[in-house]
Order: sequence, then C-alpha cells, then structure tokens
Amino acid sequence: MTELDAHLRKFQKELSTGTVSLALLAVLAKAPEPLYGYLIAKELERVGDGVLSGKQSALYPVLRNLEGAGLLESHVEPSVAGPPRRYYRINDDGRAALRQWIAAWNATRDSVESVLEGIK
Amino acid sequence: MNTEYNARPLPTTIPEYLEQLRAALSGADPAMIQDALYDAEEYLRSELAEQPGKSEAEVIAGVAGSYGAPEEVAEIYRETEVTVNRALRAPRPATRWVAATPVVAAAATAASVESATAVPPVREPAQRSLLARFFGVALDPHTYGALFYMLLSLATGVFFFTWVVTGLTLSVSLLILIIGIPILLLFLGSVRVLSLVEGRIIETMLGVRMPRRPTYTDRSQGWLQRIGAMFSDSRTWLTMLYFVLMLPLGTLYFTLATTLLSVALSLMFAPMAALVFGHPFGIWVDGVNVGDAFWLWPVSITVGVLLLFGTLHLARGIGKLHGAIAKQLLVRL
Repeated sequence: MTELDAHLRKFQKELSTGTVSLALLAVLAKAPEPLYGYLIAKELERVGDGVLSGKQSALYPVLRNLEGAGLLESHVEPSVAGPPRRYYRINDDGRAALRQWIAAWNATRDSVESVLEGIK
Repeated sequence: MNTEYNARPLPTTIPEYLEQLRAALSGADPAMIQDALYDAEEYLRSELAEQPGKSEAEVIAGVAGSYGAPEEVAEIYRETEVTVNRALRAPRPATRWVAATPVVAAAATAASVESATAVPPVREPAQRSLLARFFGVALDPHTYGALFYMLLSLATGVFFFTWVVTGLTLSVSLLILIIGIPILLLFLGSVRVLSLVEGRIIETMLGVRMPRRPTYTDRSQGWLQRIGAMFSDSRTWLTMLYFVLMLPLGTLYFTLATTLLSVALSLMFAPMAALVFGHPFGIWVDGVNVGDAFWLWPVSITVGVLLLFGTLHLARGIGKLHGAIAKQLLVRL
C-alpha cells in the first residue's frame, strides 16, 4: 500500500464516521416497517457509493450506538434462517435528530461544494 | 494492511468464519466478541437464505467483499469499541473536584495517573490530592450506581436464587415423569435470558461492559445436539452458580449499604436533631447516656462525614469487584 492510499483510507474513515449514522437514520425513516441489520445493509449497498459502500460489518455497532442514544427502538423476532433478528425502528427523537442532521448536512455540502468549485 | 488480510484462506463454512472472527478478536473484551459473533451470524445466515442456489463457500466469498473478511470485521469492531468507550467514559472526578486551584488539579491528575500504574503517591503534593481523591468519590457517577446496585441486589438476589433453586429441583424431580424434560429445557432457556438481563443491570449501574446479544450457537447441529451442548456448556452451570451466589452476596451488599449509610447519616445529623427537636444527644449503653458532652457534637459530625465518604468508597469498590465476578461467571468464551 502506498502512502497516498493510506491517506485516502484515513480520509474515507473520517468521512464515514458521521455520514453512516445519517444514512442509517434516513434509511429507517423512509422504511415503512422495521428493518433488521442485514436488510439495512443491503439497502445501503443498493444506493450507496463512496464511503457508504464500505464494509457492512461497521453498520451493526453504529446501529447499537444509535439505539443506545435513544434515536432508534428495537425488538427481537425469531427467524427460520438463523439467530433471532433484531428489528430497528426510528422513533420521534430519531426523526427530530434526523431533521437537524439533514440541515447540517445540506449546509456542509453546499459550502464544501462552493469551496471545491473550479478545482480540476 | 491489505496483504495482511489475505494471509489466511477464506473460510468455507459459517462456523469456520465465526471461528476465524473469534480468533481475530482474541484478547478483546469477551462481551464485545459475543456481540460481534452474533451480528456476523445474522448477516451470514440472511445472505445464505437470500441466495438459495449458492453454496456456503460461495456466499462467504461474496460476503468477504461486502461484510468483510473476519480479520477486517475484527478490526472494525475493535476500533468502534475504542471510540464508544471514549465517548461513554465519565469525566475524571478528581480534576473537577479541585478545578478551582490549578496547582492541586495538576497534582490530582498526576496522582491519578500514578495510581493507574499502581505507584503509591508519597510526596507532599500527592498527600493533598489524596484528600481530593477521598472526597472526589462523591462526584463519580459509578459510586451511586454501585450504591443503588447494592440496595437492589437484595431483591434481585432473592429472585435469582429462588428461580434457580425452584427451577432446578422442580425439573429434576419431574424428570421421572416425561414432563420434566420440557420444563428443564424451558428453565435452562430462562437462565440464559436472565443472564442477559443481569448483564444489562450491571452494565447500566456498575459500568462494566456486558454482552447485549445472546451467545452464539452452532445451528448446523441438530436440536438434540444443541440441547446436549447446553448441558455440557460450562457457562450454563456458571450462570446458575452466579444466581445462587447472588442471595448471600445481595444480602451482604444490602446490609452493608443500609447499616453504614444509616449510621453515618445519624452521626452527622444527631447534633442537628438535638438543636431543632430538643432530642437528647448522646450514646446510650444499657439506658445510660455515656456521651452527652458538648464537645462530642463536632466529633460526631466529623466521624459521620468520614464514614459516609468511606461508605461511598466501599460501594465503588464493591461495584468493581462484583462487576469482575459477574464477568467471570456470566461471560466466558
């Protein structure tokens, strides 16, 4: 691995730290019914590019943290395929947080884009 | 880093994958390993169910790209745990306690760093910070969590003890009849659930990381073998041992907490009661007041305050000790 690759990896990791939480909340806010880890991962994989296409194992700890922060709620259902699945659902606090995060994201994206404008 | 991941061949079955993940996580917090294995199994089994035509080896080869190879997953969990721990850690009480005087604050920080490496503080400034540390216990949230746990443990201890003793005797004695078998299995299942519940209580109150997901069971075996594994699993028996131990431990914790707190508080407030309510102040031995001297009032308050803070230290120590016991008996890999 060259040094340039290492820099890229570090940058991607730092970039993904916050955006993954935002994306997870958004996926759950749009979902009509509770989803379990695998479905959420697949949904992100379907639409995701850039840092969101990183390793999906990183999503599970983030889901647990969001639940611990009180933004998600969860329940367990048995499944035929394997161990009982934990289904996650966004709650009112989560939706309120998501609205604020979206505003913060839009502001950041706009200013970053205007800074980047004209760079070849 | 990538070359390191490719050092080992990819596993071809799900148990092999989980075994590699467990090996890659070895040395990490057992509670985190349990969670990581649970997450990985959910993902792998779901992926396998989604792609019915493919073999387990093919599915795992695909998963290594999306979910990650065992070594990559292990690294992700290790990193996340470090971040989470840093976020959850309570601010150091010593620095807040003496924040008004920077010199003492620096000494306190130095002393707590020293205590982390088990070097006893001997110099003069360290002695002042020792005082700060003694009273700083009141600002540590874990102290109150542990104190509350000590009071609660009588109730939970009685419940766990009753549950295990009743469940075990009932199912074993009914084994003569066929009905004892399902009751025994239900009972063993309930012990696992209770172990998770106790883990949640301990993590909330004592701040010791405990598993949030049940333990991994090998689903490739038949259900008869899995039932057999439940009996040969040392954790089943260690969990029951823990629940039985909770009765004496809970009684001890509760007694210590209530006795010490009430003695400390009554020593502190006895002079006030004498002033406000005219209640005679003193120490009675066989109905004779042997300690009604006025100079005993400040002594009583001082001893009460020292005893109160001593109790807080004891509570925090017991919290740490009990967390270690629970971790040994409830979480083992």
